[in-house]
Amino acid sequence: MAYRAPRIEDRGALAKWFEPPAIGAMAPGTKIIVYSLLAIWTLFVLFPIYWLLITSFKSAADVNNGPFFIPFVDYQPTLQAWRDLFVLDWQDTIRAYLNSMVIAVCATALCVLIGSMAAYALARITYRPNLVTILIFVAIAAGVIYTAFALGFDWRVSAAVGAALFFFLARAIGRRYKIHLGNGDILFWMISQRILPPVVVVIPVYMMFQSVGLLDTHIAIILTYAVINLPIVVWLMYDFFDSIPKDLEESAQLDGATRIMTFREIVLPLSRAGLAAVTLLVIILCWNEYLLALFLSTTEAQTMPILVSAMNAGERGILWWTMSAVIIVMIIPVIAMAAVLQKFISKGILLGAVKG
Amino acid sequence: MNVQSNISATQSAPAEQRLVSETARSLKLQGLNKHYGPFHAVKDLSLEIEPGEFLVLLGPSGCGKSTALRMIAGLEDITSGAMVIGDNDVTHVLPKYRDIAMVFQSYALYPHKTVAENIGFPLKVAGASPAERDAAVKDAASQVQMEDYLHRYPKELSGGQRQRVALARAIVRRPAIFLMDEPLSNLDAKLRSFMRAELKHMQQTLGVTTVYVTHDQIEAMTLAHRVAIMRDGVLQQLGTPTEVYDNPANKFVAGFMGSPPMNFIKGSLSGGTFTSAYGQVSLAGYADHDNVSVGFRAEETSIAGPDKGHFSGIVFSCEMTGHETIVTCEMDDGHAIVRAAKDYSIPMGAEIHLTVDPARVCVFDESSGVRIRPETA
Repeated sequence: MAYRAPRIEDRGALAKWFEPPAIGAMAPGTKIIVYSLLAIWTLFVLFPIYWLLITSFKSAADVNNGPFFIPFVDYQPTLQAWRDLFVLDWQDTIRAYLNSMVIAVCATALCVLIGSMAAYALARITYRPNLVTILIFVAIAAGVIYTAFALGFDWRVSAAVGAALFFFLARAIGRRYKIHLGNGDILFWMISQRILPPVVVVIPVYMMFQSVGLLDTHIAIILTYAVINLPIVVWLMYDFFDSIPKDLEESAQLDGATRIMTFREIVLPLSRAGLAAVTLLVIILCWNEYLLALFLSTTEAQTMPILVSAMNAGERGILWWTMSAVIIVMIIPVIAMAAVLQKFISKGILLGAVKG
Repeated sequence: MNVQSNISATQSAPAEQRLVSETARSLKLQGLNKHYGPFHAVKDLSLEIEPGEFLVLLGPSGCGKSTALRMIAGLEDITSGAMVIGDNDVTHVLPKYRDIAMVFQSYALYPHKTVAENIGFPLKVAGASPAERDAAVKDAASQVQMEDYLHRYPKELSGGQRQRVALARAIVRRPAIFLMDEPLSNLDAKLRSFMRAELKHMQQTLGVTTVYVTHDQIEAMTLAHRVAIMRDGVLQQLGTPTEVYDNPANKFVAGFMGSPPMNFIKGSLSGGTFTSAYGQVSLAGYADHDNVSVGFRAEETSIAGPDKGHFSGIVFSCEMTGHETIVTCEMDDGHAIVRAAKDYSIPMGAEIHLTVDPARVCVFDESSGVRIRPETA
């Protein structure tokens, strides 16, 4: 049979429903399906927030006799939960709120600062760490810890002996083996730290801060959060820095700029969008983190997620109404920040850099 | 390879009248080598460039010309050899102390800075006062006719305009050496030939020492005071465009320069006669050689009658370009290209006879590509 080009009159019923009537248009059938799915998804996403909002204005009786969906119709809203939160227990609430703010902001700042510098270095400098030297270091570090903590030697002596041994062995043995790792290996090693489930390291981290007497302090949680989120920052910012054309930096270098100047004048302004996105991501992760905060804080450094979970441990059973109010208070700053940072996460900043 | 002798033969640049800027410096490369691990990218490159000279580094992609330029700029370290700008040895000196400016193939304009900020960046880095900077930026911008665009961003400019901004940023500081890495290759054909003329004009009025890298032999021919042709990291020939065109040092140079390039026919030389499967021509003064290749340029070849021509071939295509007709003949492994008058026409597949100028043909050793010169000149 000879080939015949398809003609518009020959369209079947299915094509009439699901074939776009014109280029760039949407077929009626597709439209119905897509918008129905979107509507369902919207309900699915927004309903919990709506439920939180109305629950925070319910009394204990309304919650227990419910479910009631529409305020003023199904039940009479009350400010009881909000009064509990900001009048009765205001010290706890405000403290947790401030703790969360301070910890999230400081940890994020620290993490993004260190992480972006590391990412920039990985994107622009070729490292060739010697595998054998690394293994020697790991073995000696393990030996130092073992002798100091298990065998009871003075840790200063162990550390000094270990350092001396490392430099000796690194020069004597490490240099002979030419097995080198590259930037990709370093990057993968970093992200592998994030693959590890946090619950695995919770006990060691707890013991570490216990031994230096930093439990239930801001500094302990800030340091922990900064460290656990470093891999994400390095990974994302590496990609971002890598996409900035090298020509721009070489050009700046030829124009006489130092490395620091190049970073400040060229790289930083161009990576503003990436930094904003990463900052937002890390701050949300810090803001919502529960497990580590549970172990590292008791009262003084308690954060919002801990406060929320404390609501279901009261003598009066689970305080759904207060819990809802706390959660609403907790999500407001995240939404506000996302709105502010959104402006920076604009595309096309690199447009016009290198191509005609 | 018989490269060194060819270089020394053409080492001295012609003493033509040339404007030289006060800031322009000479550049000497002495036996530069660049290794990337086992890969030898640039092999023993030696060049001397006079103040105010326009030198073009020409070669196919991957020949080491860009690496050589990056070594001059200081963006790549020099494995061995020495480099002198003016009287200063700068072999291992950081780029910022070399007093060079570079125009990148991609232009490398800072997208978040305006045209004025882009042009003024080298001065800002150097710590010039805003007033000084302003004056210099205006001056540089006017040299490239961009003074009306100072407050635009690069993304709002066309390719040609971006190119001008990149040029202005390079000249604003009056560098000792001016480097350009294929600056015209991102422009469309029409704009490219226009910017080529602009570049030549600007280089001559400014009198800056310029090293220009390109793979386009037309750019090299038109712009350069001298051309350095490279292949596989080795300098093949250094000379004025005319020398390189008329007197190629080897088959590679002969085949690379000119559009259309030189035509070649393989054959043998004996008793002062070159014989090939396509005809013969008497070349007096050449020693006997079994395996040679004779090269002749399209414009030095004419179409002859059936019994008069030196070589004969089959017409492959006949193209009228407007001011002339280009006839391509099937001959040897490849094609030979001949220019004819605009009203000349010959059907495809017809036999064609060519006459060459025996005094102008070049003879090359087919296996090594080295030029063979007549023993009695």
